[in-house]
Amino acid sequence: MTALPPRGSPTAPLDPLSEQYEAGRELLGVEPGLDAVDLVQIGENTMELNMGPMHPSTHGVLRLVLNLDGEVVRECRPDIGYLHTGFEKDFERHTYQQCIPYTDRMDYLSPLFNNLGFSLAVERLLGIEVPLRGQYLRVIMCELCRLASHLLWYGTSALDLGATTAFVYAWRDREKLLDINELVSGVRMHTSFIRVGGLLADVPDPFYEMVGAVIKTFPKLIDEHELLITKNPIWRQRTVGLGVLSPEDAMAYGATGPVLRGSGVPYDLRKAHPYSSYDHFDFDVPIGRTGDVYDRYLVRMQEMRESLKIITQAFENLPDGPVNTTDRRVALPPRNELNTSMESLIHHFKLVTEGMRVPAGQVYEAIESPRGELGFYLVSDGTNRPYRCKVRAPSFSNLSALPHMVRGELIADVVAVIGSIDIVLGDVDR
Amino acid sequence: MSGARAADLLERELPAAVRRRESGFGEVTVWIDRADLVQVSTLLRDHPDAAYTTPVFVTAVDWPDREPVEPRFDVVYALRSLQYNDVCRLIVQVTEDDPNVPSLELVFAGMDWHERECFDLLGIGFTGHHDLKRILLPTDWDGHPLRKDYASFGEPIAFTHNLEWALPAQERPRDMPGGSR
Repeated sequence: MTALPPRGSPTAPLDPLSEQYEAGRELLGVEPGLDAVDLVQIGENTMELNMGPMHPSTHGVLRLVLNLDGEVVRECRPDIGYLHTGFEKDFERHTYQQCIPYTDRMDYLSPLFNNLGFSLAVERLLGIEVPLRGQYLRVIMCELCRLASHLLWYGTSALDLGATTAFVYAWRDREKLLDINELVSGVRMHTSFIRVGGLLADVPDPFYEMVGAVIKTFPKLIDEHELLITKNPIWRQRTVGLGVLSPEDAMAYGATGPVLRGSGVPYDLRKAHPYSSYDHFDFDVPIGRTGDVYDRYLVRMQEMRESLKIITQAFENLPDGPVNTTDRRVALPPRNELNTSMESLIHHFKLVTEGMRVPAGQVYEAIESPRGELGFYLVSDGTNRPYRCKVRAPSFSNLSALPHMVRGELIADVVAVIGSIDIVLGDVDR
Repeated sequence: MSGARAADLLERELPAAVRRRESGFGEVTVWIDRADLVQVSTLLRDHPDAAYTTPVFVTAVDWPDREPVEPRFDVVYALRSLQYNDVCRLIVQVTEDDPNVPSLELVFAGMDWHERECFDLLGIGFTGHHDLKRILLPTDWDGHPLRKDYASFGEPIAFTHNLEWALPAQERPRDMPGGSR
């Protein structure tokens, strides 16, 4: 009986048997040296279990077909696409600025990152740079968004394992961050705040007070969250040693973000390819040791503290000045010019109706979203619409490692592993 | 310059495989033949000077108008080297009649889903893939939406100048001005 082929994975696919199965192995009289998959393949009574797409702990509409032997997962086949909306096709018939609201709706828990990735790709094709104040405000808003996204992950993944209190606390704090979104852009989730060439607008005055309050209160609030969960013996029993992903496998599957760093690979695009002046800030990249569910949890909790460090630095050193580029290929002419200059009026009209024209070429711009490497591969043919825009979604690659992570685990633990990947199905399916 | 490491290495180790090399916007793109794809990507993964161990994505770009002169599809691969902190881009061109490239899922486990997505949305075949079927769209879906000739944008709306295109003959008004135009 051969083990299931790991398909390209450079290391052995399976961990040794868990302790519960040591007893089972003896009972069945299995020869020593066989691993978990061999054992479950020996069993005759396997069953297919359908999990999802309407399941509270699949974080959206993910369907898993689980092949079970007793309670052990022999094979897991994810079925995705329930939320496929064809955004990449939509991009091709909209002007560049019109694409921004579509990007909001892909990874709906971190809309600002999607805005930023797309804007950076277009800006690189245009060869423009946003003023420093715009870059700093982008960083502040993105890191606030990362906090909100991680808080939501913390609440829901804890809820999956029965920790209802954590969920309520996480929601309490996330509200404060969404209030800031509402203040700067008028909406709480699909902000479209970051645009090609800068921001929707400069931030209003209450912004400073609200972000100041976040900086002041959040370290204590994160302590509270950690107090609830981090050393909780139930949480640790459910997560330690579960869903292990080795660094080699994480790389081979293209896993990024906290899933990759949980496996001990210190790769963060904010450090590796600093964009939007991330190189001005001092922060650390937390990594895990074993690559299990608990490590991914620790990495994300630590990342929230690092995000706060970045927000604090950007907020304290926030420069004055414009937030939007003055490059006339993107920026509208100032209002007073329209009264005196015919050319400005025509230009204003053409920019609003036709949109900007972007030089022909291809770029790949990747940023570090809360879920990992969010990339935009943008091909322009010189017109006012993208010729092709491929979105490299972090959740898509991370989720493709799920069958590998849950093979040989118990079915109740599948829920914990899904929670630890932090998938957003809008991001997976696009 | 992102991707220069891979391009230099390929020009040094497998000069016959590099068909074209171009740089723009700070990124280097290498065009290769599909016959060399597996060898090139394995070299990029395993060579100590490259270590492109992480698949980023594979997708395709459809250029239907250039078919007689150049192949219609650009199949675009992006690989990341965490060790050297670099992304490289490989392009394999395939024609409309034979839109197939060898599968890389045995080289990078993560290419499995990306190849299925590319097959689903663009109709590129990946020979050797263990389970090449649609991933995002329903299995009974017709066509490949990200191809440029896939009509997807709503229903045709009848105006006087396009009646013949927009409406079947029996539904066209008989005596409408301009109906025959």
